[in-house]
Amino acid sequence: MELQETLEEGYVEILDHLRKRSLWMLHYCTACGAIELPPTITSRFDAERFGIAPFVTSRQSDILLVTGYINIKTLRRLITVYEQMLPPKYVIGFGSCTINGGIYWDSYAIVKRLDLYLPVDVYIAGCMPTPMAVLEGFRTLMKLIDEGKANGWKKYQENYEYYKENQRKVLKW
Amino acid sequence: MNFSLLMILLTPFFGGLLAYAASALHKSVRNIFFLIFMLIPFVELPVYLNKTVDNFYYLTILGQNLSLGINPLSSMMLLLFTLIFFLSSIFMMFEFNDRGEEGDLAVLELSFLEGAVFGVLLARDILTFFIFFELMAVLVFFLVGKGYKEAHTAQMKYITWALIGANSMLAAIVLLLFKAGNIGYTEIAGYLSTAPTSIVLVTFILFAIGFLIEASIMPFHVWTPITYAEAPDSVSVVLASVVKKVGLYLFALFAFSLFGLNLFSKLLPQVLNNSLVMYILQWIGALTIIIGTFIAIVQEDAKKILAWSSVAQSGYILLGLSLGTPLGVAGGLLHIINHSIFKGLLFFVVGGVIYRTGTKNLPELGGLIKKMPVSFISMLLGIIAVAGIPPLNGFNSKYLIYEALIQKNEPILLTIALLGGTGSFMYVYRLIHSIFLGQLHEEHESVREVPLIMQIPMIVLALLALLFGVLPGIPMYFVSKVEAFLGLDPIKYNLTGFPEQPGLHAGNVPVISITFVAGLVVAGLLFYLLPRARKVHQLDNYYAGEVLTKDVKYNYSFGFYSFFDDIIAPFNKWSVESVYESFVGFIKTAGDYLRRVYTGNLETYVSFGVILLVIFSLIYILGGILW
Amino acid sequence: MVKEILTLIFTPILAFFVGIFLLGFKRKMVARIHRRYGPPLHQPLLDIIKLLSKKENISHGVMFDLGPVMYVGAAILTVLFLPIPGFKQLTPFGDLIAFLYIMVIGSLGMALGAGESGNPNASIGIARALTLMLGYELPLIIAGNTLVIKYGTTDLYKFMTLQSGFHWNLFLLPLTAIAGFIATYGAMGEHPFDVVVAPQEVATGPMVEYGGKHLGLLMIGMAISTYIETGFFVILFLGGGANILTFILKQLGVIIVMTLFDTVFPRFRIENAVRYFWRWPTLIALVGLLIVYIGGK
Repeated sequence: MELQETLEEGYVEILDHLRKRSLWMLHYCTACGAIELPPTITSRFDAERFGIAPFVTSRQSDILLVTGYINIKTLRRLITVYEQMLPPKYVIGFGSCTINGGIYWDSYAIVKRLDLYLPVDVYIAGCMPTPMAVLEGFRTLMKLIDEGKANGWKKYQENYEYYKENQRKVLKW
Repeated sequence: MNFSLLMILLTPFFGGLLAYAASALHKSVRNIFFLIFMLIPFVELPVYLNKTVDNFYYLTILGQNLSLGINPLSSMMLLLFTLIFFLSSIFMMFEFNDRGEEGDLAVLELSFLEGAVFGVLLARDILTFFIFFELMAVLVFFLVGKGYKEAHTAQMKYITWALIGANSMLAAIVLLLFKAGNIGYTEIAGYLSTAPTSIVLVTFILFAIGFLIEASIMPFHVWTPITYAEAPDSVSVVLASVVKKVGLYLFALFAFSLFGLNLFSKLLPQVLNNSLVMYILQWIGALTIIIGTFIAIVQEDAKKILAWSSVAQSGYILLGLSLGTPLGVAGGLLHIINHSIFKGLLFFVVGGVIYRTGTKNLPELGGLIKKMPVSFISMLLGIIAVAGIPPLNGFNSKYLIYEALIQKNEPILLTIALLGGTGSFMYVYRLIHSIFLGQLHEEHESVREVPLIMQIPMIVLALLALLFGVLPGIPMYFVSKVEAFLGLDPIKYNLTGFPEQPGLHAGNVPVISITFVAGLVVAGLLFYLLPRARKVHQLDNYYAGEVLTKDVKYNYSFGFYSFFDDIIAPFNKWSVESVYESFVGFIKTAGDYLRRVYTGNLETYVSFGVILLVIFSLIYILGGILW
Repeated sequence: MVKEILTLIFTPILAFFVGIFLLGFKRKMVARIHRRYGPPLHQPLLDIIKLLSKKENISHGVMFDLGPVMYVGAAILTVLFLPIPGFKQLTPFGDLIAFLYIMVIGSLGMALGAGESGNPNASIGIARALTLMLGYELPLIIAGNTLVIKYGTTDLYKFMTLQSGFHWNLFLLPLTAIAGFIATYGAMGEHPFDVVVAPQEVATGPMVEYGGKHLGLLMIGMAISTYIETGFFVILFLGGGANILTFILKQLGVIIVMTLFDTVFPRFRIENAVRYFWRWPTLIALVGLLIVYIGGK
């Protein structure tokens, strides 16, 4: 038993070490923060050397980038897309609007804290964050994966009712 | 005089009359008699396999012998056609189940059609085959009329073309009767070997017109799409698999047995190692392949796709037969067998889908794979066979035809034939995608699989296609006997493929199949050792976050290849059909002018009569003075 | 005999690793042309490991599952019918024409699997893929026929051995080689003919619903297909190779030249792509055919 457990843990460690070098992000530009994505991916601040490439479908990607402010309509689509992704999956809150509402802190149509509705692994502060900050956020995520701490998807599965309750309050589903 | 062949010929006629009489009692009694009499030829035929016998039975009328006989080509096709007729009769019982009187007549006509086809195959002189050929045309005319909405237009088109072919053949028959004085095949062959070039050429062209109309070769194919599409489904199977092959059987018999390749080489100039007539026929075959394939790609009706596909495959058979080499003729004959099997299979599957859903329009169908899995697997095997992909049977015959073209050093024809193969892949995928894959429509939620007995024709033909594909030695046994009969060296074959011989690279389908299965096992192992996949509902699809609902039809079906339509749009303007339509228009206009003679006025008619009387009297008097 | 069977079993693994190397090299080269560092050379291998190790997978039905399995199975089948220097593999059982048909089996399996997913993007992608196949097959077939006439045989192993030394078809039949090269572009789905997997238009076409282990298998199949298509071109026109290392070097050469064009061209629309294939490459191939046909007489 113990041997099997140590083997399994070692197997997961090796996998995480290899997996962190091949994260695919969903190129799903939800709001104004998405304008910082093209510079990050292209020549000057090359994100592809870490293995991070933009992919179009939620079935194929690992990272959901919530770029910028989130209004109710966008939240509905984001939740659908998040549930279509295949675990292990990670959510990165991109920009200050996902942390506390940002410059729309007193709007009636904007969701103030993303953490109540989707499990966020890494936040990148800024309005907008510069490409260097984005790359730093990606590297933080890679470090968390390596240490085995990026478990947002497990949190979602275990506290499913809690998240659904919060979503229903806002979205009127 | 041996009466056994006559019994084979008369069995279907007798069975049809008995079944029609029994329909007065009850439908199931009629069905039982129908099926039993369709099974009897299976028992009678195997005695005569691979024998050549002339004059088994004859009837003397006005000094000429109308005789019956059998030869290997006839016996091979008799066996194949008996199977197709039997399976089609099973299907017909279900299709005409609740049509009352029409069903009884259809049973009668199908049995008589089988008898007429047997008559053409068993004929040993040119008048007998003509009588049965015309009987076949009349019966097809009646059967087609029981079909879908446009069936009457189809009937008129078919009978017009059948009459053109019939008159052309009748002219050739009368010419030969007067010149040769006898109607038997052997006597005609003897006469033709010493006849002047003009007689040989004229009779061959007249006969070829008649046969190629039946075999739907360009430019005589215009009746085929609408007739195959609007006929009832069991009749479509018989049309595509049997009636078309009768035309090709007669072509092969006449070109090789009666006329003979040596005769053509002697009398006509040679073009690139072929006599001129055969070279022209090769090009006609190649054009049929490519044009039929391109038009099939842009159709929206399931049966029209299959009809145009039949036109294209006839081109392959004509190309193979007119090559004249052992490889080419073997390829053509093998394709006759294979095409009957896989085209019949596809028509049966489409017929089953129409039986359950009531529509043959492709944009209205979709997603039936979960409701009709057996039909899906049969159609999958059918489309792999049409595209000519190993390990199904379409590959073997197409392989022989390609190798024959390489042996004859004709690269342009080989290019056209290979391109036709790639194009066939396109329309065949469209068929299976629009019927079985994609989104299931709401009104088809309650569709079930076709009844068990109705699945038998599909399963039998699918298994036969697989068997003939993996072990091509079984049909090649018959084909090699036929080649020997037609006067060519039969090609070498063994049970699993073709060994290396001059002009033919070795091909071994079981090796391909076993390697494919091994690859599938390796990939499957890798697949199933990983975490299992859970089923998701079809509406749980990626659509940029939108939640899909059932009432929206998002199936991509109409105009599937609309971009291909744009590419070939400039060529669509030159259509053979428009030539015939303009000819018909011209005749109508001319007739319109002539009609004005009938004014309905008595004075006009009397004045016409007087003027003609005056003219003829003048001619008589002047003629009497001058001579 | 035993050596032959061992080579048969070892070849798909070799093809997989060579394919990974070629794909990684291509990504690195594209990055360097864009004046940036690129991913490491073994990046495709990391991608496949990540995909195969996903914890959950989804499926739309049995045919959906069978699609990638058939694709990989057919890729393994096809790679066994290509000869490698010194070994005949399975070429005594199938020649050039059988090979052209065997190459299609994998695409058929993938097309059926993608159709089952029920997403219209997948169906559009497959319709485009089949139309493109009709486009590039025409110059490829004419090029193949020219070679068959020149050598009088259709055996792929003989194509390789008859070009030994430096009698490559690239030097002897330049026009045919150019037509075959452009046709191979279409077969591999490079710019400007990558309309099939147009990410911005049809959400990667047939692969829109494939994720996890299905996509992992598809990428394995794609790696083997890269090996097959470049290997096919090398055997027909670049003279095979004296040993396996020169073979792989020649495949690398093909990839390098292709990537140089790939990075600078935008994407053709499907009608323009097919019209282009039926115009210039076909003309060039026909001229090449005419030269061989008349010269041979």
